[in-house]
Amino acid sequence: MSERKLYDISLTVNDREVKGRVKAETTLLDFLRSNNFTEVKKGCEIGDCGACTVIMDGEAVLSCITLALQAEGSKVYTVKSLGTWEKLHPLQKAFVEHEALQCGFCTPGMLMTAKAFLDKNPHPTRDEIREAISGNLCRCTGYKKIVDAIEAVSKREAE
Amino acid sequence: MGSFQFYKPKGVEDLLKMKAELGERGLILAGGSNLLVYIRNGIINEGTFLDVKNLKPLKGIDTSNGKITIGAGETIREILESAKLREKIPFFPDSMKEFANPLIRSKATIGGNAADASPAADTAPPLLVLDTETVIGSHRGERVIPIKEFFKGPKKTALKPDEVLLRFQFSVPEAGKGVFLKFGLRNGTAVSVTSLAAWLALDGGKAVDIRIALGGVAPTPVRAINAESALKGQKLNEESILTLSEEVEKDLRPISDVRGSTEYRKDLTVELLRRALRKLSGTEAAL
Repeated sequence: MSERKLYDISLTVNDREVKGRVKAETTLLDFLRSNNFTEVKKGCEIGDCGACTVIMDGEAVLSCITLALQAEGSKVYTVKSLGTWEKLHPLQKAFVEHEALQCGFCTPGMLMTAKAFLDKNPHPTRDEIREAISGNLCRCTGYKKIVDAIEAVSKREAE
Repeated sequence: MGSFQFYKPKGVEDLLKMKAELGERGLILAGGSNLLVYIRNGIINEGTFLDVKNLKPLKGIDTSNGKITIGAGETIREILESAKLREKIPFFPDSMKEFANPLIRSKATIGGNAADASPAADTAPPLLVLDTETVIGSHRGERVIPIKEFFKGPKKTALKPDEVLLRFQFSVPEAGKGVFLKFGLRNGTAVSVTSLAAWLALDGGKAVDIRIALGGVAPTPVRAINAESALKGQKLNEESILTLSEEVEKDLRPISDVRGSTEYRKDLTVELLRRALRKLSGTEAAL
Protein backbone atom coordinates (compact mmCIF):
# COMPACT_ATOMS: atom_id res chain seq x y z
CA MET A 1 0.00 0.00 0.00
CA SER A 2 2.98 2.29 0.21
CA GLU A 3 3.66 2.75 -3.51
CA ARG A 4 2.82 6.19 -4.77
CA LYS A 5 -0.14 5.68 -7.03
CA LEU A 6 -0.97 8.26 -9.69
CA TYR A 7 -4.41 8.80 -11.16
CA ASP A 8 -5.40 10.09 -14.60
CA ILE A 9 -7.53 13.18 -14.56
CA SER A 10 -9.30 15.18 -17.23
CA LEU A 11 -11.36 18.34 -16.85
CA THR A 12 -11.87 21.64 -18.63
CA VAL A 13 -10.46 24.86 -17.25
CA ASN A 14 -11.69 28.06 -18.88
CA ASP A 15 -13.15 25.87 -21.63
CA ARG A 16 -9.77 24.32 -22.37
CA GLU A 17 -9.26 20.60 -21.84
CA VAL A 18 -6.62 19.90 -19.20
CA LYS A 19 -5.32 16.39 -18.54
CA GLY A 20 -2.82 15.20 -16.07
CA ARG A 21 -1.73 12.57 -13.59
CA VAL A 22 -2.20 13.40 -9.92
CA LYS A 23 -1.70 11.94 -6.50
CA ALA A 24 -4.86 11.07 -4.58
CA GLU A 25 -4.29 13.93 -2.16
CA THR A 26 -3.48 16.61 -4.76
CA THR A 27 -5.89 19.50 -4.28
CA LEU A 28 -7.65 21.17 -7.16
CA LEU A 29 -5.76 24.32 -6.14
CA ASP A 30 -2.35 22.69 -6.56
CA PHE A 31 -3.42 20.99 -9.76
CA LEU A 32 -4.55 24.29 -11.27
CA ARG A 33 -1.43 26.18 -10.21
CA SER A 34 0.89 23.44 -11.49
CA ASN A 35 -0.88 23.75 -14.84
CA ASN A 36 -0.06 27.47 -14.93
CA PHE A 37 -3.42 28.73 -13.73
CA THR A 38 -1.52 30.76 -11.16
CA GLU A 39 -4.28 33.37 -11.13
CA VAL A 40 -5.88 31.01 -8.60
CA LYS A 41 -4.34 32.22 -5.36
CA LYS A 42 -2.97 30.06 -2.60
CA GLY A 43 -3.83 31.64 0.75
CA CYS A 44 -4.62 29.69 3.91
CA GLU A 45 -5.01 26.27 2.21
CA ILE A 46 -7.57 25.25 4.86
CA GLY A 47 -10.76 26.74 3.48
CA ASP A 48 -10.76 29.84 5.67
CA CYS A 49 -9.77 32.68 3.34
CA GLY A 50 -11.46 32.19 -0.03
CA ALA A 51 -8.47 33.33 -2.11
CA CYS A 52 -8.52 30.05 -4.08
CA THR A 53 -12.21 30.27 -5.07
CA VAL A 54 -13.00 29.07 -8.59
CA ILE A 55 -16.31 28.32 -10.27
CA MET A 56 -16.88 24.61 -10.72
CA ASP A 57 -20.01 23.42 -12.49
CA GLY A 58 -21.69 26.77 -11.79
CA GLU A 59 -20.82 26.98 -8.09
CA ALA A 60 -18.18 28.99 -6.26
CA VAL A 61 -15.84 26.37 -4.84
CA LEU A 62 -12.86 26.52 -2.50
CA SER A 63 -10.23 24.73 -4.59
CA CYS A 64 -7.93 24.19 -1.60
CA ILE A 65 -10.42 21.85 0.07
CA THR A 66 -11.44 20.08 -3.12
CA LEU A 67 -9.38 17.18 -4.41
CA ALA A 68 -8.33 17.45 -8.04
CA LEU A 69 -9.89 14.01 -8.54
CA GLN A 70 -13.22 15.35 -7.30
CA ALA A 71 -13.16 17.76 -10.25
CA GLU A 72 -12.81 14.95 -12.78
CA GLY A 73 -15.00 15.77 -15.79
CA SER A 74 -16.00 19.16 -14.38
CA LYS A 75 -16.04 22.59 -15.96
CA VAL A 76 -13.80 24.85 -13.92
CA TYR A 77 -13.47 28.60 -14.45
CA THR A 78 -10.81 30.89 -13.01
CA VAL A 79 -10.77 34.67 -12.88
CA LYS A 80 -9.06 34.73 -16.27
CA SER A 81 -12.27 33.46 -17.85
CA LEU A 82 -14.05 36.70 -16.92
CA GLY A 83 -12.55 39.28 -19.24
CA THR A 84 -9.46 40.59 -20.98
CA TRP A 85 -7.44 43.81 -20.63
CA GLU A 86 -9.28 45.18 -23.64
CA LYS A 87 -12.68 43.99 -22.56
CA LEU A 88 -13.06 43.72 -18.80
CA HIS A 89 -15.99 41.89 -17.23
CA PRO A 90 -18.47 44.32 -15.59
CA LEU A 91 -17.35 43.06 -12.17
CA GLN A 92 -13.68 43.65 -12.98
CA LYS A 93 -14.53 47.12 -14.26
CA ALA A 94 -16.53 47.92 -11.16
CA PHE A 95 -13.71 46.72 -8.87
CA VAL A 96 -11.36 49.15 -10.67
CA GLU A 97 -13.83 52.03 -10.64
CA HIS A 98 -14.65 51.57 -6.96
CA GLU A 99 -11.03 50.91 -5.99
CA ALA A 100 -12.22 47.67 -4.44
CA LEU A 101 -8.72 46.30 -4.06
CA GLN A 102 -5.32 47.24 -2.77
CA CYS A 103 -2.86 44.35 -2.85
CA GLY A 104 -5.19 42.32 -5.05
CA PHE A 105 -4.48 38.94 -3.50
CA CYS A 106 -8.09 38.25 -2.51
CA THR A 107 -9.48 39.67 -5.75
CA PRO A 108 -9.44 36.59 -8.02
CA GLY A 109 -11.40 34.63 -5.42
CA MET A 110 -13.62 37.56 -4.53
CA LEU A 111 -14.54 38.08 -8.19
CA MET A 112 -15.40 34.42 -8.72
CA THR A 113 -17.58 34.33 -5.60
CA ALA A 114 -19.28 37.54 -6.76
CA LYS A 115 -19.78 36.13 -10.27
CA ALA A 116 -21.37 32.88 -9.08
CA PHE A 117 -23.50 34.84 -6.62
CA LEU A 118 -24.83 37.40 -9.14
CA ASP A 119 -25.52 34.62 -11.64
CA LYS A 120 -27.96 33.16 -9.08
CA ASN A 121 -29.16 36.37 -7.45
CA PRO A 122 -28.79 39.25 -9.94
CA HIS A 123 -30.41 41.92 -7.75
CA PRO A 124 -29.30 41.34 -4.16
CA THR A 125 -29.51 43.65 -1.17
CA ARG A 126 -26.31 44.97 0.39
CA ASP A 127 -26.77 42.55 3.29
CA GLU A 128 -27.06 39.64 0.87
CA ILE A 129 -23.86 40.77 -0.84
CA ARG A 130 -22.03 40.97 2.48
CA GLU A 131 -23.24 37.50 3.40
CA ALA A 132 -22.27 36.12 -0.02
CA ILE A 133 -18.66 37.27 0.28
CA SER A 134 -18.30 36.43 3.97
CA GLY A 135 -16.07 33.48 3.12
CA ASN A 136 -13.63 35.66 1.18
CA LEU A 137 -11.26 37.54 3.41
CA CYS A 138 -9.69 40.86 2.42
CA ARG A 139 -7.03 42.22 4.75
CA CYS A 140 -6.46 45.57 2.97
CA THR A 141 -9.50 47.59 2.10
CA GLY A 142 -12.27 46.58 4.39
CA TYR A 143 -15.34 45.39 2.58
CA LYS A 144 -17.26 48.56 1.86
CA LYS A 145 -15.70 49.23 -1.53
CA ILE A 146 -16.00 45.60 -2.54
CA VAL A 147 -19.69 45.61 -1.66
CA ASP A 148 -20.06 48.94 -3.50
CA ALA A 149 -18.52 47.42 -6.62
CA ILE A 150 -20.71 44.31 -6.59
CA GLU A 151 -23.78 46.39 -5.86
CA ALA A 152 -22.95 48.73 -8.76
CA VAL A 153 -22.87 45.79 -11.16
CA SER A 154 -26.17 44.44 -9.86
CA LYS A 155 -27.78 47.87 -10.31
CA ARG A 156 -26.27 48.32 -13.75
CA GLU A 157 -27.69 44.99 -14.81
CA ALA A 158 -31.05 46.03 -13.45
CA GLU A 159 -31.24 49.00 -15.82
CA MET B 1 2.90 13.47 3.57
CA GLY B 2 2.17 9.77 3.61
CA SER B 3 0.47 7.61 1.09
CA PHE B 4 -3.08 8.16 -0.05
CA GLN B 5 -5.38 6.36 -2.45
CA PHE B 6 -8.62 7.51 -4.02
CA TYR B 7 -11.77 5.53 -4.63
CA LYS B 8 -15.27 6.51 -5.62
CA PRO B 9 -17.77 3.95 -4.29
CA LYS B 10 -20.46 2.94 -6.76
CA GLY B 11 -23.18 2.61 -4.14
CA VAL B 12 -23.77 2.14 -0.42
CA GLU B 13 -22.96 -1.56 -0.55
CA ASP B 14 -19.67 -0.83 -2.27
CA LEU B 15 -18.93 1.94 0.26
CA LEU B 16 -19.61 -0.34 3.24
CA LYS B 17 -17.56 -3.13 1.73
CA MET B 18 -14.62 -0.76 1.29
CA LYS B 19 -15.06 0.61 4.81
CA ALA B 20 -15.07 -2.95 6.18
CA GLU B 21 -11.84 -3.66 4.33
CA LEU B 22 -10.09 -0.42 5.19
CA GLY B 23 -11.39 0.38 8.68
CA GLU B 24 -9.91 3.61 9.95
CA ARG B 25 -7.81 3.92 6.80
CA GLY B 26 -11.03 4.46 4.87
CA LEU B 27 -11.46 8.24 4.83
CA ILE B 28 -15.01 9.32 4.04
CA LEU B 29 -14.67 12.37 1.81
CA ALA B 30 -17.68 14.56 1.04
CA GLY B 31 -17.13 18.32 1.23
CA GLY B 32 -13.58 18.01 2.50
CA SER B 33 -13.86 21.04 4.76
CA ASN B 34 -12.65 19.00 7.73
CA LEU B 35 -10.82 16.01 6.23
CA LEU B 36 -8.62 17.93 3.80
CA VAL B 37 -7.70 20.38 6.57
CA TYR B 38 -6.60 17.49 8.81
CA ILE B 39 -4.45 16.18 5.97
CA ARG B 40 -3.01 19.61 5.23
CA ASN B 41 -2.17 19.97 8.94
CA GLY B 42 -0.58 16.53 9.14
CA ILE B 43 -3.13 15.08 11.57
CA ILE B 44 -4.03 12.39 9.03
CA ASN B 45 -1.21 11.18 6.81
CA GLU B 46 -2.37 8.03 5.11
CA GLY B 47 -5.49 6.30 3.92
CA THR B 48 -7.90 5.81 1.09
CA PHE B 49 -10.34 8.56 0.22
CA LEU B 50 -13.82 7.16 -0.21
CA ASP B 51 -15.38 9.95 -2.24
CA VAL B 52 -19.08 10.06 -1.37
CA LYS B 53 -19.70 13.61 -2.57
CA ASN B 54 -22.21 12.61 -5.22
CA LEU B 55 -23.27 9.28 -3.76
CA LYS B 56 -27.05 9.32 -4.23
CA PRO B 57 -28.07 7.04 -1.32
CA LEU B 58 -26.46 9.47 1.16
CA LYS B 59 -28.45 12.38 -0.28
CA GLY B 60 -32.07 13.33 0.00
CA ILE B 61 -34.54 14.94 2.37
CA ASP B 62 -37.81 13.14 3.00
CA THR B 63 -40.64 14.69 5.00
CA SER B 64 -43.50 12.28 4.41
CA ASN B 65 -45.41 10.51 7.23
CA GLY B 66 -44.59 13.14 9.87
CA LYS B 67 -41.04 11.89 10.01
CA ILE B 68 -38.07 13.80 8.67
CA THR B 69 -35.19 11.93 7.11
CA ILE B 70 -32.04 13.73 6.02
CA GLY B 71 -29.22 11.98 4.19
CA ALA B 72 -25.80 12.35 5.81
CA GLY B 73 -24.48 13.67 2.50
CA GLU B 74 -26.83 16.64 2.36
CA THR B 75 -24.87 19.86 2.42
CA ILE B 76 -25.62 22.58 4.94
CA ARG B 77 -26.70 24.76 2.05
CA GLU B 78 -29.12 22.15 0.72
CA ILE B 79 -30.72 21.95 4.16
CA LEU B 80 -30.84 25.73 4.49
CA GLU B 81 -32.52 26.02 1.09
CA SER B 82 -34.86 23.02 1.43
CA ALA B 83 -38.47 24.18 0.87
CA LYS B 84 -39.74 20.82 2.16
CA LEU B 85 -37.94 21.22 5.48
CA ARG B 86 -38.92 24.85 5.75
CA GLU B 87 -42.57 23.90 5.38
CA LYS B 88 -42.47 21.21 8.08
CA ILE B 89 -40.01 22.63 10.57
CA PRO B 90 -38.52 26.04 9.72
CA PHE B 91 -36.42 25.92 12.89
CA PHE B 92 -34.13 23.33 11.37
CA PRO B 93 -33.12 25.06 8.12
CA ASP B 94 -33.06 28.40 9.95
CA SER B 95 -30.52 27.03 12.42
CA MET B 96 -28.12 26.46 9.49
CA LYS B 97 -27.92 30.18 8.72
CA GLU B 98 -25.25 30.57 11.37
CA PHE B 99 -23.03 27.85 9.90
CA ALA B 100 -19.66 29.28 8.75
CA ASN B 101 -20.13 31.06 5.40
CA PRO B 102 -21.71 30.30 2.03
CA LEU B 103 -18.52 28.79 0.56
CA ILE B 104 -18.24 26.30 3.41
CA ARG B 105 -22.00 25.72 3.56
CA SER B 106 -22.00 24.51 -0.04
CA LYS B 107 -19.28 21.95 0.78
CA ALA B 108 -19.85 20.83 4.37
CA THR B 109 -22.39 18.07 4.94
CA ILE B 110 -24.55 17.47 7.99
CA GLY B 111 -23.10 13.97 8.30
CA GLY B 112 -19.57 15.28 8.16
CA ASN B 113 -20.25 17.95 10.74
CA ALA B 114 -21.74 15.41 13.15
CA ALA B 115 -19.13 12.71 12.51
CA ASP B 116 -16.34 15.23 13.10
CA ALA B 117 -17.76 15.51 16.64
CA SER B 118 -16.43 18.92 17.50
CA PRO B 119 -17.88 19.96 20.87
CA ALA B 120 -18.89 23.18 19.10
CA ALA B 121 -20.37 21.56 15.95
CA ASP B 122 -23.13 23.86 14.80
CA THR B 123 -25.50 21.14 13.60
CA ALA B 124 -25.36 19.32 16.94
CA PRO B 125 -27.61 21.44 19.20
CA PRO B 126 -30.49 21.53 16.67
CA LEU B 127 -30.16 17.76 16.12
CA LEU B 128 -30.11 17.13 19.88
CA VAL B 129 -33.14 19.28 20.55
CA LEU B 130 -35.16 17.26 18.03
CA ASP B 131 -34.20 13.92 19.64
CA THR B 132 -32.71 12.91 16.32
CA GLU B 133 -31.77 9.32 15.61
CA THR B 134 -28.68 8.50 13.58
CA VAL B 135 -28.78 5.59 11.18
CA ILE B 136 -25.42 3.90 10.94
CA GLY B 137 -24.47 1.35 8.32
CA SER B 138 -21.82 -1.30 7.97
CA HIS B 139 -21.41 -4.57 6.09
CA ARG B 140 -23.09 -6.13 9.14
CA GLY B 141 -26.29 -4.14 8.60
CA GLU B 142 -27.86 -0.96 9.92
CA ARG B 143 -28.28 0.21 13.49
CA VAL B 144 -30.06 3.22 14.92
CA ILE B 145 -28.81 5.21 17.89
CA PRO B 146 -29.97 8.49 19.44
CA ILE B 147 -27.78 11.45 18.57
CA LYS B 148 -26.93 12.01 22.24
CA GLU B 149 -25.29 8.59 22.31
CA PHE B 150 -23.53 9.30 19.03
CA PHE B 151 -21.24 11.95 20.51
CA LYS B 152 -18.67 10.33 22.79
CA GLY B 153 -16.11 13.06 23.36
CA PRO B 154 -14.14 15.70 21.50
CA LYS B 155 -13.67 14.22 18.01
CA LYS B 156 -15.04 10.88 19.22
CA THR B 157 -18.24 9.24 18.05
CA ALA B 158 -20.01 5.91 18.43
CA LEU B 159 -18.93 4.99 14.89
CA LYS B 160 -16.85 1.83 14.72
CA PRO B 161 -13.99 1.69 12.19
CA ASP B 162 -16.11 -0.20 9.67
CA GLU B 163 -19.20 1.99 10.07
CA VAL B 164 -20.55 4.93 8.09
CA LEU B 165 -23.14 7.49 9.15
CA LEU B 166 -25.94 7.15 6.60
CA ARG B 167 -28.79 9.46 7.62
CA PHE B 168 -30.64 11.28 10.38
CA GLN B 169 -34.29 10.93 11.31
CA PHE B 170 -36.56 12.80 13.68
CA SER B 171 -40.22 13.54 14.25
CA VAL B 172 -41.57 17.05 14.12
CA PRO B 173 -42.70 17.92 17.67
CA GLU B 174 -46.49 18.20 17.99
CA ALA B 175 -46.40 21.80 19.16
CA GLY B 176 -44.03 24.65 19.75
CA LYS B 177 -41.15 26.27 17.97
CA GLY B 178 -37.40 26.35 18.13
CA VAL B 179 -34.50 28.71 17.91
CA PHE B 180 -30.75 28.36 17.48
CA LEU B 181 -28.43 31.02 18.86
CA LYS B 182 -24.71 31.05 18.31
CA PHE B 183 -22.12 33.27 19.85
CA GLY B 184 -18.88 33.49 17.88
CA LEU B 185 -16.14 36.06 18.17
CA ARG B 186 -17.10 37.58 14.82
CA ASN B 187 -19.63 37.00 12.08
CA GLY B 188 -18.76 34.61 9.30
CA THR B 189 -16.57 31.54 9.55
CA ALA B 190 -16.12 31.83 13.32
CA VAL B 191 -16.07 28.73 15.49
CA SER B 192 -18.79 28.97 18.11
CA VAL B 193 -17.70 29.96 21.59
CA THR B 194 -21.07 28.83 22.81
CA SER B 195 -24.20 27.83 20.96
CA LEU B 196 -27.67 26.95 22.11
CA ALA B 197 -30.74 25.42 20.54
CA ALA B 198 -34.07 25.45 22.32
CA TRP B 199 -37.53 24.13 21.59
CA LEU B 200 -40.51 25.41 23.54
CA ALA B 201 -44.22 24.60 23.51
CA LEU B 202 -46.42 26.69 25.79
CA ASP B 203 -49.84 25.86 27.17
CA GLY B 204 -51.53 28.61 29.11
CA GLY B 205 -48.18 30.38 29.41
CA LYS B 206 -46.57 27.28 30.94
CA ALA B 207 -43.69 25.42 29.36
CA VAL B 208 -45.14 22.01 28.54
CA ASP B 209 -42.37 20.95 26.17
CA ILE B 210 -38.98 22.47 26.81
CA ARG B 211 -35.78 21.14 25.27
CA ILE B 212 -32.40 22.80 25.40
CA ALA B 213 -29.12 21.73 23.82
CA LEU B 214 -25.72 23.35 24.13
CA GLY B 215 -22.59 23.46 22.01
CA GLY B 216 -19.06 24.40 23.04
CA VAL B 217 -19.55 24.05 26.79
CA ALA B 218 -18.75 20.39 27.45
CA PRO B 219 -16.63 17.64 25.85
CA THR B 220 -19.59 16.89 23.57
CA PRO B 221 -22.65 18.85 22.54
CA VAL B 222 -25.19 18.15 25.33
CA ARG B 223 -28.81 18.42 26.35
CA ALA B 224 -29.24 20.79 29.30
CA ILE B 225 -31.26 18.40 31.44
CA ASN B 226 -31.04 20.46 34.64
CA ALA B 227 -32.31 23.59 32.95
CA GLU B 228 -35.00 21.59 31.18
CA SER B 229 -36.39 20.12 34.40
CA ALA B 230 -36.22 23.49 36.18
CA LEU B 231 -38.24 25.11 33.41
CA LYS B 232 -40.72 22.33 32.71
CA GLY B 233 -44.25 23.25 33.81
CA GLN B 234 -43.20 26.76 34.80
CA LYS B 235 -44.93 29.92 33.70
CA LEU B 236 -42.52 31.89 31.56
CA ASN B 237 -42.21 35.61 32.15
CA GLU B 238 -39.24 37.93 32.44
CA GLU B 239 -38.78 37.13 36.12
CA SER B 240 -38.87 33.35 35.80
CA ILE B 241 -36.68 33.47 32.71
CA LEU B 242 -34.07 35.54 34.56
CA THR B 243 -33.86 33.23 37.57
CA LEU B 244 -34.51 29.80 36.04
CA SER B 245 -32.01 30.29 33.24
CA GLU B 246 -29.24 30.22 35.83
CA GLU B 247 -30.00 26.51 36.33
CA VAL B 248 -28.25 25.88 33.06
CA GLU B 249 -24.90 26.38 34.82
CA LYS B 250 -25.35 22.89 36.29
CA ASP B 251 -25.34 21.47 32.78
CA LEU B 252 -21.99 22.96 31.86
CA ARG B 253 -18.54 21.50 31.91
CA PRO B 254 -16.94 24.27 29.92
CA ILE B 255 -13.35 24.49 28.85
CA SER B 256 -11.09 27.51 28.84
CA ASP B 257 -9.51 28.07 25.47
CA VAL B 258 -8.38 30.68 23.02
CA ARG B 259 -12.00 31.65 22.35
CA GLY B 260 -13.08 32.19 25.91
CA SER B 261 -12.62 31.32 29.57
CA THR B 262 -14.80 28.98 31.59
CA GLU B 263 -16.49 31.86 33.39
CA TYR B 264 -17.14 33.68 30.14
CA ARG B 265 -18.75 30.58 28.64
CA LYS B 266 -20.98 30.16 31.71
CA ASP B 267 -22.22 33.72 31.59
CA LEU B 268 -22.72 33.52 27.84
CA THR B 269 -24.76 30.34 28.04
CA VAL B 270 -27.08 31.75 30.70
CA GLU B 271 -27.57 34.84 28.57
CA LEU B 272 -28.15 32.81 25.39
CA LEU B 273 -30.79 30.77 27.21
CA ARG B 274 -32.53 33.92 28.41
CA ARG B 275 -32.57 35.29 24.89
CA ALA B 276 -33.87 32.02 23.48
CA LEU B 277 -36.66 31.77 26.06
CA ARG B 278 -37.69 35.40 25.57
CA LYS B 279 -37.85 34.85 21.85
CA LEU B 280 -39.79 31.60 22.04
CA SER B 281 -42.21 32.73 24.76
CA GLY B 282 -42.93 36.04 23.04
CA THR B 283 -41.85 38.10 26.04
CA GLU B 284 -39.01 39.66 24.07
CA ALA B 285 -41.09 42.60 22.83
CA ALA B 286 -41.81 43.66 26.41
CA LEU B 287 -38.15 44.44 27.10
